[in-house]
Amino acid sequence: MEMLKIENLTFSYPQSTHRVLRDVSFGIEEGEFCVLCGATGSGKSTLLRLCKRELAPNGQRSGQILINGTPTEQLSAREAAVRVGFVCQQPDQQIVCDKVWHELAFGLENLGLSQNEIARRVAEMAGYLGIEPWFDRQVKELSGGQKQLLNLASVMVMHPDLLILDEPTSQLDPIAAAEFLHTLSKINRDFSLTVLIAEHRLEELVPMCDRLIVLKDGTLLGADAPDVLMPRIAQDPALLASMPTAVRVACAIGDQSYPLSVKEGRAMIAKYADPTRILPENAPKSGRSKALELKNVYFRYARELPDTLADLSLSLYEGETLCVLGGNGSGKSTMLGVASGVHKPYAGSVLVFGKKLNEYKNQTLYRENLALLPQDVQTVFLHNTVEEEMKDAGVDLSALPFDLTPLLGMHPYDLSGGEQQLAALAKVLATNPKILLLDEPTKGLDAEKKQHLLEILRTLRSRGVSILIVTHDVEFAALCADRCVLFFRGSAVSDGLPRTFFAENNFYTTAARRMSRGYFQNAVTARDLVALCRGEEVL
Amino acid sequence: MKALDTYNPFTIAVYFLATAGIAMFCMQPILLALALIGAMALCILRHDVRSARTHLGFWALFFLAALLNPLLSHNGASVLLVIGNAPITAESIFWGMTSGAAILSVLYLFCSFGAIMQSDKLLYLFGKLSPRLSLILSMGLRYVSLFSEQWRKIKQAQISLGLYKNDNILESARGELRIFSILLSWALENGIVTANSMSARGYGTGKRTHFSIFSFTWRDGLLLSVTLLLAAGTIVPLALGAVTFTFYPTLHLHHAGALSYLCYLSYGALVALPILLETEDAVKWKCLRSKI
Repeated sequence: MEMLKIENLTFSYPQSTHRVLRDVSFGIEEGEFCVLCGATGSGKSTLLRLCKRELAPNGQRSGQILINGTPTEQLSAREAAVRVGFVCQQPDQQIVCDKVWHELAFGLENLGLSQNEIARRVAEMAGYLGIEPWFDRQVKELSGGQKQLLNLASVMVMHPDLLILDEPTSQLDPIAAAEFLHTLSKINRDFSLTVLIAEHRLEELVPMCDRLIVLKDGTLLGADAPDVLMPRIAQDPALLASMPTAVRVACAIGDQSYPLSVKEGRAMIAKYADPTRILPENAPKSGRSKALELKNVYFRYARELPDTLADLSLSLYEGETLCVLGGNGSGKSTMLGVASGVHKPYAGSVLVFGKKLNEYKNQTLYRENLALLPQDVQTVFLHNTVEEEMKDAGVDLSALPFDLTPLLGMHPYDLSGGEQQLAALAKVLATNPKILLLDEPTKGLDAEKKQHLLEILRTLRSRGVSILIVTHDVEFAALCADRCVLFFRGSAVSDGLPRTFFAENNFYTTAARRMSRGYFQNAVTARDLVALCRGEEVL
Repeated sequence: MKALDTYNPFTIAVYFLATAGIAMFCMQPILLALALIGAMALCILRHDVRSARTHLGFWALFFLAALLNPLLSHNGASVLLVIGNAPITAESIFWGMTSGAAILSVLYLFCSFGAIMQSDKLLYLFGKLSPRLSLILSMGLRYVSLFSEQWRKIKQAQISLGLYKNDNILESARGELRIFSILLSWALENGIVTANSMSARGYGTGKRTHFSIFSFTWRDGLLLSVTLLLAAGTIVPLALGAVTFTFYPTLHLHHAGALSYLCYLSYGALVALPILLETEDAVKWKCLRSKI
């Protein structure tokens, strides 16, 4: 019997003739790990929500959704809640209670279980998922990764048959995201729990899934094992762009093996290996002046806490794009706070165009000099429509390197992650900054939106804007950086041009580099690899 | 490890209610001296008040009470000096110091109480009254922290965009107002996600039970009975007037033999109880560790 069976599902939202889902049919066997993919707006979220009755959107629906043979609408309220578990994007907003243990018990309290039964289930789950060390803590003290793990655990205690996750890692950094996905795959293997997950982060997920379900504009392209489906995905450039590096390289060089993981990718690259070939590094022009300089900066959040930044020295040259990489808590975001004048360092100095920060009086710093786009872009908005937002900030829409006009009438909170990013960026650019500071700009963006952002940043750079990006996203950094810096324990430990930087790193590096280590000297992006395999020159 | 934290919230609440209740209403200098010494010692021992500034503030309150009373009340026989037409009496100063001690000891007790009774312990107590109230409070606490964090983030974002002006009071008030209005939309937006998450986990499908991680053990029973016994040992003589203290016209302590001693001993023991528990715990731990 199939755990989830969808038959001829068609759906449209109220007062809309557009069918979000069109005649979708597929089935999932018990114990399968299934990944649902497709571009933003292809109907992924709608499909997932229709499978969880309590969250099903209102609208015109035809076709059937069967959970273990029973149509969802025939399940009792209790069964519907227990048998299908659902975890969504926002780690914070899903949490109901203020204490970790209370949150874990919440669902079980709703089911009216006894104190002993709840105690046993909660203890079991906390032990299995490693929540024990922070079992007594308050939710607000947890990191994003821990919050999402808590959300997973508080669904798992209810013993669901089917676990549905809607982009659970889009708000997490890559390390926390990878940990979350591995926990998920462990649960799937240990308990043969059926998992259906929608994600942008396909680099790790595709190699470990049993079934790939591909949606394109509301219709099903296929639902099968990834290697079976890959030849069809390869026909569609937009879909292919979201697939793992290995398969993108294989398709570009015409290799028919469709490797998915780094391991399989290496086996393919081995055939083309030529360790003597070196790609030229785009050396920076010499004699440029510094746009932003941090000199021996020390900072801590409170007297009794350790230093967050310790003896940090960092320069951003005029017209360059600098990427700062590093793990969680290495002080990257704090550095942006110090550079933008939000935090005051207790020693050292910050210079903007050779002038100290405190010499910029009456907010002249933020007029035509420096602007910061925060990590949580929602915090940039203050109004009810994008248009008011733009008017308030004094944005000249025609001068933007992208088009915002279709979004003007909407509420900023109703935009998708990528659109919010653009609207926020427009607001930031309104002050004509010469220095742009970006905090994790690729968080929650799919492959297509990342490419778009990359083009915008390149346009800005060609206009002479100096850009400082703090990111966990090594693949994105390899594509957009002129120079990269690695942060560790509050200071910059290594600094280099991207090809050298990622080629010298063994762990903190791109998938393309991991695939070609030992075979090519300094290929760090998929494009580099393709060119080297084909024997072309790259600039 | 702090010994008192490991007890059931109910036991802890009863203890603090009894100790602070007596200190608040007795107006008896000897009992209050005991309360003040005990409460301060407990606070310092447990590091519940960390900053010296808080201690200074508390004592400033004490001196304020001691000095303000003689300025307002001119009862009492022993006149120390005359300011204008108003006599300042020793009895009135003593009354002020006694009430200052009452305020101070209650403040110190509440500092320890606040540090021990974290939200989940308070919720456990409320949960006994009504499980629904307890859930609402828990969600409320969660929302307060979410809300204030988002407020801070929005303000910081607006500052670094150069859009938040705080040059004068009017501008910064306007800035705060703008943030508040967008926070309301944000809260509504996020409330939907939370509501979804609740119904997805079966909220409202049937009768809820109330789960807690606290259990009532024999230690709680012991501490609770000792607390009640000692409190009774203090309150009964107090009510019988065995330790009555009169301030005006002259200071006079009524003494009633054994009953008075029982009162002082009981309250002294009550105040010392948590200190004993804390030190016993520390000593036991040291002994255990030396055996390892």
